[in-house]
Amino acid sequence: MFLRRSKGLLDFAMAVLCIWAAYHHTPAGALARRAGAWALGVRTSARPLLAYYDGGADSEGPAAVGAPEGALAHPLSDEEALAWGVHLALTGMEPRARERALGAAEALGLTPSLLLDAREGPGTARRLLTLLTADFPGEEARLTAAFAGTAPARYAVERVRAEGQAPTLERLARQLPPGFESASTGAARALALATAFALAWPVPEGTPVTSPFGYRVHPVLGTRKLHTGVDLGVRSGTSVVAVASGVVRRASEDAVNGRVLVVDHGRGVTTAYCHNSELLVRVGERIERGQVIAHSGSTGRSTGPHLHYQLELAAQPVDPLCFRTHVRVAGGATEL
Amino acid sequence: MSTRPPAASERPSSFLSDVSSLLGGLRWVFMPLGLLALVAVGVHAAADTLDDRLLWAVDRADAAFDHVVGRWDATAFLVDWVSLAQRTRIARALALAWELSADLLLALPALGYRERAPATGAEAWRAALGQEASPSWRALWRRCLRQPTPMRWIRPLATAAVALAGACAVARLVQGTVYLSWRELMGDGAANVAARGLAVGALGGVLTSLGWRAVLRNLQHADAVCAAESGRRAWTRGLFGCALVVPLAIAAVADGSPVLSFLR
Repeated sequence: MFLRRSKGLLDFAMAVLCIWAAYHHTPAGALARRAGAWALGVRTSARPLLAYYDGGADSEGPAAVGAPEGALAHPLSDEEALAWGVHLALTGMEPRARERALGAAEALGLTPSLLLDAREGPGTARRLLTLLTADFPGEEARLTAAFAGTAPARYAVERVRAEGQAPTLERLARQLPPGFESASTGAARALALATAFALAWPVPEGTPVTSPFGYRVHPVLGTRKLHTGVDLGVRSGTSVVAVASGVVRRASEDAVNGRVLVVDHGRGVTTAYCHNSELLVRVGERIERGQVIAHSGSTGRSTGPHLHYQLELAAQPVDPLCFRTHVRVAGGATEL
Repeated sequence: MSTRPPAASERPSSFLSDVSSLLGGLRWVFMPLGLLALVAVGVHAAADTLDDRLLWAVDRADAAFDHVVGRWDATAFLVDWVSLAQRTRIARALALAWELSADLLLALPALGYRERAPATGAEAWRAALGQEASPSWRALWRRCLRQPTPMRWIRPLATAAVALAGACAVARLVQGTVYLSWRELMGDGAANVAARGLAVGALGGVLTSLGWRAVLRNLQHADAVCAAESGRRAWTRGLFGCALVVPLAIAAVADGSPVLSFLR
């Protein structure tokens, strides 16, 4: 009887709920929001359309990811790498976007401004992560707690467990309601940076860098282009090892990259290895850190034997040397 | 025998029923929009799980393309056309295009939703002649069995799958929003109970209020489209659209509908 009398109200409430969800959480809703903002002449609050598929990561470029500006003074432990990731991700965020993370740090008795300090930031971030370790033993849940706060992170972990899944950053981000997008993006950036800090090197340490990352005059084309990786001077047949465990996303040959491998390490990190003479793994194959995956060579558009090693964070190429220590640059100009 | 006059209406008027009947009069506005939104949310929940698979497909396609264009000097420059970074964007753009296409196929027919009372009395002849403006479940089911076409079967089933995923997504949003905004007011335990209860209520409410109507509306649409064609043309009508929504429907059921998680 009650249900029959309140049918109109219930139907209305359910319809409004669905419209609210679609408006805030679908690209179609984002299109409607953009159209509305355009018609009213106001700024839209909708995210870019492709951001609805990045699972918390973002694709705004290396600057947004907050890659370090120079090489590291010393190799980082896993805990230090995570702390550096948090510090760099926070400094790369808009002031409003990092409010929630700074509030979470304050709630744990830390001075929020220290997290952004160039000298004290990594150490403070490490203390923050240590305080969260007991409640959030998993790295990805801990990062969610650092950027979104402990209560939202605890809720998200419980929901993901109720769904019978492992608490990855993407799944945790999916559980959080509107208003936590920036926190999820910050956590994804921090995780990508931390993963990049922990990567090994594809060829023996001390191998000279014959062409660094950045704009250069292309040696074959003679035009100014962005060199999206680093060229490592190795002889043909040198073993190329996987810098971390992952899945081979591409193993192919073409006239530019030669025999090329692309490995997805998860957590928003991808590496590529070009100009090899021989590929030892296939697409879809799961590989382990340190496993020999190719032999270097000079295939494709190449002037001599070398390995082009490329690192991408959130689908954007970044300088892999920024995540390393003691890399020798050919010509003796710089000792990094 | 009572001397009191009979009540004007058997239903006692109350604020709730007044509001409810007022809103009931506006159903023609909010029900189509609600159905459209439910299907859109479900389609997105499904599409969101497919972007990694699309990235894999884009990688394979790009590798094959590079292999072909790299054979000749004149076309070798095309190898650089799609960079490693662009492939991710292409995969996401494909997911977006797929989702919006599915929205057009599954969500847009919801705008044609109309509620009508069954033909009775003076209009009973319409039902007798099978000329109902909005055919009933029974009539549609009969035609699905007697004149089966991919569109008559796949579109409603796909709509059911994405409606379920959409209801789960709405319930998840309700639970998260209620818990995180009420916990400071009510305390952790009470907010948790309230959030869980409202999430289950939203899941059940959305499915019973909108879910079945979305499926019915899609079935009516598919039936009308197929009825306009004859023979083989009716069978092939909308085949491409069906192929487009099947993977999304599978993803919606497999990855986007954690129904039991709301009860744990």
